[in-house]
Amino acid sequence: MIERNERKAYWRHTKVQMLTSLLPFVLAMVILPLYADALNDKRVLGVPLGYFLACHGLMLIAFITVAVFINRQDAIDHWHGAHEDF
Amino acid sequence: MAFTSSTRLVNPRLGTYFGIFTAALAALVLMALMLEQLGLSDNLLRWLLFATPLVLYATIGLNARAQEPHDYFASGRRVPAFFNGLVLGVSVLGGTGFLGLTGALFIAGFDALCLSIGWCAGLVFMAVLFAPYVRKFGTYTVPAFLGRRFDSRAVRIVAAGVLLPPILLVLIAETRFATYASTWLLGQPEFVVTVILIVLVAAVLAAGGMRSLTWASVAKAITALLALAIPATIFGLMASNLPLPQMTHGNTLRVLTRMEMLRNVPIVIAPPLSLDLAGAGIEPLAKRFVQSFGSVGNLGFVFASLIMAAGVAASPVLLPRSGTTPGVYEARKSLGWAVLVAGIVLLTLPAVAVYVRFLLFEQVIGQAGEQLPAWFQVLQQAGIAQIEPSPQPVSLGRLGFERDAVLFALPIAAGFPQVLVYLALIGALAAALAALTASLFALAAIVAEDVVPTSAVEAQSDRLRIGRARIAVAGVAAIAIWLGTVTAADPLQLFLWAMTLTASTCFPVLVLSIWWRRTRAWGAMLGMLTGLGVAAGTILLAETGAVALPSALAGVIGLPCAMLVTVACSIISPTAGRNVLEQLREMRVPGGETVYDREMRLLRLKNRSPS
Repeated sequence: MIERNERKAYWRHTKVQMLTSLLPFVLAMVILPLYADALNDKRVLGVPLGYFLACHGLMLIAFITVAVFINRQDAIDHWHGAHEDF
Repeated sequence: MAFTSSTRLVNPRLGTYFGIFTAALAALVLMALMLEQLGLSDNLLRWLLFATPLVLYATIGLNARAQEPHDYFASGRRVPAFFNGLVLGVSVLGGTGFLGLTGALFIAGFDALCLSIGWCAGLVFMAVLFAPYVRKFGTYTVPAFLGRRFDSRAVRIVAAGVLLPPILLVLIAETRFATYASTWLLGQPEFVVTVILIVLVAAVLAAGGMRSLTWASVAKAITALLALAIPATIFGLMASNLPLPQMTHGNTLRVLTRMEMLRNVPIVIAPPLSLDLAGAGIEPLAKRFVQSFGSVGNLGFVFASLIMAAGVAASPVLLPRSGTTPGVYEARKSLGWAVLVAGIVLLTLPAVAVYVRFLLFEQVIGQAGEQLPAWFQVLQQAGIAQIEPSPQPVSLGRLGFERDAVLFALPIAAGFPQVLVYLALIGALAAALAALTASLFALAAIVAEDVVPTSAVEAQSDRLRIGRARIAVAGVAAIAIWLGTVTAADPLQLFLWAMTLTASTCFPVLVLSIWWRRTRAWGAMLGMLTGLGVAAGTILLAETGAVALPSALAGVIGLPCAMLVTVACSIISPTAGRNVLEQLREMRVPGGETVYDREMRLLRLKNRSPS
């Protein structure tokens, strides 16, 4: 169980993790499609790059974002003793 | 029970059970393929492929009964992360994703990616912003979560009232998609099909609530994924010698782009704030596939993906699902699986769209009227494709295609056996049913738990709570049958409205209630009401043409308004009581007993003691 005086530090840490997970993702998701047409001249695996990034790239970024978030947040929970104790 | 290890509660044989289900499904498809070759009548084959999976889902659902609220509303909190993610990933897409999005990608090309980006981002937002905290709180519905968070019955009732319209819209949209797929499969009138499907779903939900919903939906998710993968993989193998359509449709896309250039398909540029995803019914193909912002403007694209993301993340249909996992860590992990499953589906759907477009350009466009391939004539007779009659060769301008039929047009166009066409249909039906069941149950749970009761629900007996929920399921099912057959609007449009309404009512209030300590009951209530009012008003104005904004983007105005009102009202409200803040602090920490379960346990002890 978490110590009382750890709570503030834990929540600060969690908030920072939330922002570091979401801000780059939101930026990528807003910016990548806007430049799709300009990038479509180049090709990756035969796919136009702009389309490839907006379709495959964003799905991959989303998955990596969630996977990293799960691991980092779990580490934060353990660091502050806030993890579930089964 | 709270002291038992949560991992020990998980049924260790789940993998075996669903392995058996998958094997049964594969056997059914192979048997149907053989029977087709042996000359079984087409009608019998359709009924066989329609009824067998439904019987399997119903068997699984009816066998997972629930007698306690804990089982009935939260599936006993013992659904492992993977299975939860599987259900979440497929029911977040539903028929809208499988049928609507494929068609929109086929017709609008790149521009329809705003929806798939929105879906995927929504799951990411849900994982980071909401799911762990909703799980730690452990309430069975979103209004109950808000009500307890602010310790106010008024918030609970307002939230229930405000969330009913968007859930109802999703329910109608998914009913329409499920009916659409099964009408194609069976050729029976819509009303009969809707009644069969909804009665079946309601029976399963009445038996076991969330528990049977979860396990039946795992089966539906497996069916949907297999049925999507098989035709796409076979065609991918034919087109590129690699069974990975998600990665290899690029080569086909390159050829397609060249053909589009040769046929002078125009490059269209849409005004920045427009959102013209294909409507239901026959639609013309007006732009090139990879060209961006031809039917959706660049601002419209960004707004649409953000609103979809907010709507999916705060969806009152999907959030209670995180309550079924054994713990907070598992709830986060299940969202990881959900992103993976949804991501794979969202990469397969564009491949299907590209393949159908490729076949159309390769074999139909530029041909003389009498030289059209046989598959295209089949599509024409079925009413899926349309050409204006003229002696000249077929040109793009004269060609129309039905949006929702693209998914199962691929096996027809590629000349696959008829069984694979039916397989694509039962896959779409399974996805639509998973989403339909989830929204029906969410609606029934809110009606039974948050709208109807006059006193604290938690103090009532188990029988009363579950009995009321069963009556609510029956009532909501009747409404779904009625509205599903009466409504004539485009289901994709209904779904987009639902997302825009959820994004402007639920999303800002949920974000603030978890991440901003100073949020107060009045702020939440007025914020939700403002969000609903502004978004609904904007939709009405946009539909009548008074505002130059696509109605699906109403959340762009609704979300900031709701956020501002919530913040402003919270700042001027007096400080919250000690217990509200203590509860919030507890919710933010994963460790310790689930807040709601502990309250229920204490309440039960109090009722039992003879004092």
